[in-house]
Amino acid sequence: MSQVQIAAKQLINTIQKFPKDKIKHIVSFKDTQIERFSKIAGIKTSHTEKKQVSMNDLKDIVNRTSGPLGLQASVMKKIQNGLANETMSVEMLNEQNIALQNLLSNKYKNYYEVGDKLYKPSGNPQYYERIMNEIEGKKKETFGSALRTVFFGK
Amino acid sequence: MSNFKWVSTPIIRSCLLRANSKAIIHSTNVGASLTRAGLNGIRTNHSISNDSPENLIKKSHTKAMPADYEIVAPVKKIKIIKLAHSKYESSKYHLPKWKSAMGEVVINMLKLDMDRVRAGPVAGSYYYMLCKEQGLQYDDEELSESCKFFYESLNLPRTFSQWFQITILHEWILFTRMRAMPFKYGKNYQQKLVDRTFLDIERRLFEEMNVKSGRIVDQYLKDFNTQLRGAVFAYDEGFFTDDATLATALWRNLFGGRKNIDMVQLEAIVRYVRSQLYVLSKMSDREFAKGNFKFVPPNEVVERLTPEQENKLKQSIIKKYETETDLLPSEHSKLSYTN
Repeated sequence: MSQVQIAAKQLINTIQKFPKDKIKHIVSFKDTQIERFSKIAGIKTSHTEKKQVSMNDLKDIVNRTSGPLGLQASVMKKIQNGLANETMSVEMLNEQNIALQNLLSNKYKNYYEVGDKLYKPSGNPQYYERIMNEIEGKKKETFGSALRTVFFGK
Repeated sequence: MSNFKWVSTPIIRSCLLRANSKAIIHSTNVGASLTRAGLNGIRTNHSISNDSPENLIKKSHTKAMPADYEIVAPVKKIKIIKLAHSKYESSKYHLPKWKSAMGEVVINMLKLDMDRVRAGPVAGSYYYMLCKEQGLQYDDEELSESCKFFYESLNLPRTFSQWFQITILHEWILFTRMRAMPFKYGKNYQQKLVDRTFLDIERRLFEEMNVKSGRIVDQYLKDFNTQLRGAVFAYDEGFFTDDATLATALWRNLFGGRKNIDMVQLEAIVRYVRSQLYVLSKMSDREFAKGNFKFVPPNEVVERLTPEQENKLKQSIIKKYETETDLLPSEHSKLSYTN
């Protein structure tokens, strides 16, 4: 196994530590990047197998958003599949690895600590908690709380 | 209000910014972080490199190019209209004395809540212009400094949609601060900023992108609206959880889910966003509400304030507002300057 492949494998290990998407998006950072570097590392990925898209997935995507930058989902797919093979040196791969580790260690969130002033904003202290509860499924919004947001804004 | 002068806060800027300076990390517990660094031999969470976001990218050896297809969608400048057709929003316009005097009388007589009124010119005009300028580019014009960061360093495509993504990223940064204002005012500031965004996009689509059909423009506006909601939600989640989630949100929105992304670019943009939020968190409501904020350029470094510096900054702001006398009715504000 060449040095490049070893570095790529290390990079894949780092990417795998990235948090799982809490809700389903059109493209997943983790999946696309693992697939990308697997080519360099010479690993066959399980992500290449075709996934069956359920009716609910389609409804979800159509209702929620169109593609980022106004691109159609089909065009996005073409771009994803149509990438040429990349050649990367060990140095480049290590750089990528360090950058991702910096992100995983929450370096910037900790260094540029904004405190409760922004995390519990005085105008709407429950704002982020409500979003997180909804995403994580801890406490779902009720019809009443949704109506309250519509009428009073919080 | 048009001849209102927007003054950047020299104190904040001088304390927070040290462009391309040598590493002096202001940490609340420098000693502790140094020991830990010595013990582990690697980096700690309490110190970061002294590179500006732009320098971080310059050091990267990976030259990730935009997606492998040519995007040809130049934005052509028809006339120089930076913000709107209204003469009141031109920087060259000076309100006649009698008009401003009459305005002051009306404000005084009707006891208008200036914090509410101010949302229009500050959030809807000045802050919108700030956000807009960050990524504003025309095919036949040289790129500005911040545009160079986005279109050259980050290799983003020079399109209208990309400009919109850059704009809403900056708007979201402002939203986070607006939420921390008293609810009534913060909500109004957010509303004015969003209203102006869509008014301006509509104008730009008709005039600059040369779209003839109102129906198509409406479709675009709806699409941009969904993008705005999606982006704000994703950024909120990333901001509250961790850097990794924020990075993936930025990857999906700002970078359009580009596969061949350079991770150093992602790191740089996360640093850029977090540093802006830090500066905002150190501003008092009144400073922010009066429009004394500017985005830190990507080639500058934001350093953390020591408790002494922070205290000094707060004191100087308190002194500035406490010594203010003989204010015109339009200059009154009830917002806090101590938080």
